[in-house]
Amino acid sequence: MAADTTTDFFESLGRRAHEPLLEQTVGTLRFDLAGKGDVDRWFVAVDKGNLAVSHQRRRADCTVRAAKPFFDRIASGEVNATAAVLRGTLEVEGDAELLTLFQRLLPGPPAGTSPQRSGKKP
Amino acid sequence: MTDGSVRILDGNTFVVSDDRGDIEATPTDTAGLFSFDTRFLSKWVLTVDGERLSALSTDDLSYFETRYFLVAGTGTVYVDAKLSVIRRRAVSEGFRETLEVLNHDDEPVDLTLRIEADADFADLFEVKDALKKKGAYTREAAPGRLRLGYVRDTYRRSTAISSLPKAKADEAGLSFPIHLRPHESWKAELEVVTEFAGLERLAKSSGRGRGRANMESELERWLDGAPKLHCDWEPLLTTYRRSLVDLAALRFSPLTAGRRSLPAAGLPWFMTMFGRDSIITSLQALPFTPELAATTLRELAIRQGTRTDDFRDEDPGRILHEMRYGEMTAFEERPHSPYYGNADATPLFVVLLDEYERWTGDRKLARELEPAARAALNWIDEYADLQGNGYISYQRRNEETGLENQCWKDSWDSISYRDGRLPGFPRATCELQGYAYDAKRRAARLARIVWNDPAFADELDRQAAALKRRFNRDFWVEDGKYFALALDADGNQVDALASNNGHLLWSGIVDKSKAKAVVRHLLGPRLFSGWGVRTLAEGEARYNPIGYHVGTVWPFDCSFIAWGLRRYGFKDEAARIAAGILDAADFFEGRLPEAFGGYERSLTKYPVQYPTACSPQAWSTGAPLLLLRTMLGLEPVGEHLVVDPALPAGVGHLELLDIPGRWGRFDAFGRGLMSAERAPKLREQLGAAR
Repeated sequence: MAADTTTDFFESLGRRAHEPLLEQTVGTLRFDLAGKGDVDRWFVAVDKGNLAVSHQRRRADCTVRAAKPFFDRIASGEVNATAAVLRGTLEVEGDAELLTLFQRLLPGPPAGTSPQRSGKKP
Repeated sequence: MTDGSVRILDGNTFVVSDDRGDIEATPTDTAGLFSFDTRFLSKWVLTVDGERLSALSTDDLSYFETRYFLVAGTGTVYVDAKLSVIRRRAVSEGFRETLEVLNHDDEPVDLTLRIEADADFADLFEVKDALKKKGAYTREAAPGRLRLGYVRDTYRRSTAISSLPKAKADEAGLSFPIHLRPHESWKAELEVVTEFAGLERLAKSSGRGRGRANMESELERWLDGAPKLHCDWEPLLTTYRRSLVDLAALRFSPLTAGRRSLPAAGLPWFMTMFGRDSIITSLQALPFTPELAATTLRELAIRQGTRTDDFRDEDPGRILHEMRYGEMTAFEERPHSPYYGNADATPLFVVLLDEYERWTGDRKLARELEPAARAALNWIDEYADLQGNGYISYQRRNEETGLENQCWKDSWDSISYRDGRLPGFPRATCELQGYAYDAKRRAARLARIVWNDPAFADELDRQAAALKRRFNRDFWVEDGKYFALALDADGNQVDALASNNGHLLWSGIVDKSKAKAVVRHLLGPRLFSGWGVRTLAEGEARYNPIGYHVGTVWPFDCSFIAWGLRRYGFKDEAARIAAGILDAADFFEGRLPEAFGGYERSLTKYPVQYPTACSPQAWSTGAPLLLLRTMLGLEPVGEHLVVDPALPAGVGHLELLDIPGRWGRFDAFGRGLMSAERAPKLREQLGAAR
């Protein structure tokens, strides 16, 4: 199967194994990403900064639902996850704090795509 | 209320209506039922037989409930009124309204009562800027029910209106045909629920909509839990109670906070989390309600910046400026998800963490937030030093919708040279350097006693000492004997004299040898109006006594100046500032406005309110609390609370009982100089007593 942004993103999280920005976070997120006729399911377990990524079903503290093509845009940093929640494109159930913290793992907007990006760097 | 409008609220759900309880918004009018920064009702008008009603009286039962006594007709003479209507409204997840119609006549009557309803679903930003909507509206009417909806792609919001008994509903409202026998009354319950597609589950788990009974007992608990004030100057008791109730009303629970809450910035436009306002208000309220500080710290830390995002002016370690939930934020037409463009909240976050630990002894939170505090300190050195000169400066990267001025004086003309010229960007305003200094000093203390990292503490102390040395050299205006308002992009002094000097005292960055000169300015005729310290000194080219940040007096500003004066041992001067502001509060029935005119006290005799739409404003609400602290000289030292009172002339005794902290509860007493025979009504105003 050809690699895609979302798969790349979750696989890179799995390889990262440890994330200092989540050193005080414990909890499991479940992502249900609806594609054409199937649901791509990812679990990210955070244990004090240690990350375990899998497709294995397990109890989740926070469930996130989105259309797969849309989540690709989140995984690339093009769309902001908090804004997507407000838009209803990203549906969240459970521990909202966990999703807010998880956003630290998402990339920022790629250069040039930020809605009103200015040219000037300090 | 200053503009005659009635406001009730619960968190970020609030209603602004006229004194009849009617809502009739125009595209730029602020009336409406708002929740999560969206207007869910723009029209809510009650008529009897097609006629509008008139208000006999309006009772604010509490900050979340109002009762309106109405009569039919809009004339000026009510003697013929055979019919009255009592309308009672309480805010929860929307609002609940009870309508009661009373027939006072000996004859039976048939009439039609109608509520006209509409919703424009405007984002607060659209209300402010009068922008057009991009989505489509829906209307669904069924017996007893009307649902107003708005759709734009996946973004859906709706207002569900229902009634008991069931009204005849159409797309524009609900009607009740009523037959009343002589002296009979009729009653209906209307419920308005705000709906957020996709957000319900989140909103539910956040404890939104506490219910009225809960809100009442909860407010009682809040007031009972606060320290008790006793004092022989009665207006202060009113002001204190007003502050506590307003602070309760201003509490806001972000979706991640469960039932905990933090201070929002102000009603109605700013019922949301702001880095600066939430921190400042938490600092002011710390001796009274320390739990607000804990939630503020936790919630800001969860959303601390971690990447570089130019649209949001986000950097790693930066503390957010403002969070919003409306449509424009949802579609990334505004950067408030959250927006990070401020230069002071990040150092102030560290200051609050330390001050919170000093009061409460909550080392657990201080340890938990160590990484956040370190990231904040790193931001000061690595990201805020835009000019490479060792000072915090600001310049927005989002030039379209970002904030140009990222300090508390955020209006376009607030930072100027004596001659009125405005500096370019980046700008390094002086108070930011004070906050950075204080943050380093306080972090050093935490590093020593909580984080167990004495080497880091030594390094921070070294950095702070070096910063203080440089600052006292680079910002000191030699020919004026005060600190410049800012350094411009060329490193030159922006040399106007401003109230920011007081914040410098508070931060401790001022050399002892310079403090006296600074204090002379703060209490001198150019800055001190008799009520408080002007934001900009009289005589500066841009000085204007009713200019937002260029001459008005800000109660919050003055409360920090008083704290600064205490820090440097100027007790009597601190008491004079407290006297002026608390006297002013008396003119506003205890609710200090955001700002009032900088006119000389002897000229106007009363403080002239600056016309802003926002009231109560959180940090004005917090000002009397901090002034109580400065008057009593409350200071946590080790495990104890030290009391060192210095009361304004005119206050004989002041007691604050049950002050919460690491000592449990503690009582503070202060006695002042005052003649005992003075009749209360003939009393001099506090500030005039000198």
